[in-house]
Amino acid sequence: MCEAATQAGAPAPQARFAPGILSVLSWPLIAFLVVYILMPIVVTLLMSFNDAQMIRFPITNWSLRWYEDFFNSGQWTEALTNSIVIALGTTAISTSTGILAAWAFERYRIPFGRFWYFLIILPLFMPGVVLGLGVAIAFGGIQIGSISLYGSRGLVMLAHSLWAMPLVFMLMEATFKTVDYKVVEASYDLGGRPVRTFFEIVLPMVSTGITSSALFAFVISLNEFVMALFLTDRDTQTLPVLMWLSLRSAGTPRLAVASVILALTVFACLTLIMVWYVRQLRKVATK
Amino acid sequence: MAGRLIPWSLMGPALAIVVVVFGLPTLQMARMSFNLHSSQGLYTPGFTFDNYVTLFTNPVFTGAMRTTVQLALLASLATVAIGYCFAVLVWLKPARWRLLFIALALCPLLISEISIIFGWWMFLPKNGLLSHVLLSAGLITDKISLMYTEFAAFIGLVYITLPYAFFIMLSVLDGIDKGVLEASADLGGSPLVTWKEVLLPLTSGGLQVAFSQSFIWTMGTYATPSALGPDTLWTLGFLVQEQMLGKHNWPLASALAMILVIGVAAVVVFTGMIMSRRSRYHV
Repeated sequence: MCEAATQAGAPAPQARFAPGILSVLSWPLIAFLVVYILMPIVVTLLMSFNDAQMIRFPITNWSLRWYEDFFNSGQWTEALTNSIVIALGTTAISTSTGILAAWAFERYRIPFGRFWYFLIILPLFMPGVVLGLGVAIAFGGIQIGSISLYGSRGLVMLAHSLWAMPLVFMLMEATFKTVDYKVVEASYDLGGRPVRTFFEIVLPMVSTGITSSALFAFVISLNEFVMALFLTDRDTQTLPVLMWLSLRSAGTPRLAVASVILALTVFACLTLIMVWYVRQLRKVATK
Repeated sequence: MAGRLIPWSLMGPALAIVVVVFGLPTLQMARMSFNLHSSQGLYTPGFTFDNYVTLFTNPVFTGAMRTTVQLALLASLATVAIGYCFAVLVWLKPARWRLLFIALALCPLLISEISIIFGWWMFLPKNGLLSHVLLSAGLITDKISLMYTEFAAFIGLVYITLPYAFFIMLSVLDGIDKGVLEASADLGGSPLVTWKEVLLPLTSGGLQVAFSQSFIWTMGTYATPSALGPDTLWTLGFLVQEQMLGKHNWPLASALAMILVIGVAAVVVFTGMIMSRRSRYHV
């Protein structure tokens, strides 16, 4: 068996180690992983097409009734809008600040660089409940003019940026390392000012890194609900917050629909970026 | 002179966010944890160690700390074990499988924690899918429920942290030359010996990082254990939320949160020490 695999041109290095482990582990492990990871998704999809009031299996009647219900409910569509607006805001804040900081770390020698680096990524390790509580305490009573900061979408965007920005920063730091700086030097030599070089030469070279880190920022904010639970009120609550609150009172198939719609939003963004990425590749190929 | 300011102005916005939205609030939270609780408002300014004394003497809170650490330890051990096997599998399988596996591992990352909770919430209870499937298959005669048990909380926590452990381990494995496995086999090592003597030492640093990362995540996640676990499963995160939103006791909530901050910081520093010690060895 082993011999045959080697002769058939299978990669030799793992040929002898692999069958021993793979034949024992591989299929049950794959089956377990696929079932475990896909189970909540499959259950949710099935339940979202349920016609009944209650969440129980088996499902006897199928319909789109809860989808209709979701889109006819002002409270739920508004929560979806809030989620998307907050996620877009978080993406804008965290990508712009994260990219600039990563550029600073890549191109300049910064005194105590390791300390600043650690400080910037530190919030990424903090539990949401801690960050949410801190922001709520610090900004709870602050008013700008007649608008209360607490409960506003802007505050949630800033709080979500505490997770999104360090992630963008780390991803972009790694991406900037791959840039060919001879091109940047050439631009300087031809009289390109640093700012113009950055926007016209460097950013296009790292556009894939930027879009993928922006996607991560968007997804983190869209899905997050512990900080949002601490920082939103009835008018600004996001979809995950509303789902959490209604799970605590009573679960209906509407929650399954909300899960599906949340996931579809994420996958729509993923698809958009994939399409963009493929087009980008084609452009390079035709050049 | 102006050139020196450029890196600072580039870093400025990011640092401003961290300092204003994270640093100062954390300091304020630390200060808040020494304030007094009053029955009318949220807190009365003052200075007392009472909140911390309560935390370390009241059995509710000491119990919660024990539960949190226990649950986090168990869940991260399981996560790292599963993530490790998963990563080794992907590493050894032909490249054409890779993208599929990575897409699978990304699922829990791209789905909201609340949707994951809700998914298990429909799978585990008496009228859930698990009970229905087992009953239809004739494996059980009466409906069963795994909902609101510690096991349910465990399943949910492992699900959420699995991708982190997986991707950390995969990136470590990708840095290893598969030829070492062949070399070990050539020298007569059985797969088990090869794993123990060759692969494990090469990946032990990654395992430690994956473990501490999972530990931090499971320690801070409160929604999953509180929604899937039994009513008595009180974790630190759950108590922070309870004191803050339910009991409106800000000083106590802050003290609880400070314990979490210190715990997380300790794990991060510890991991950093492990990593720098290891890198010194290699040099």
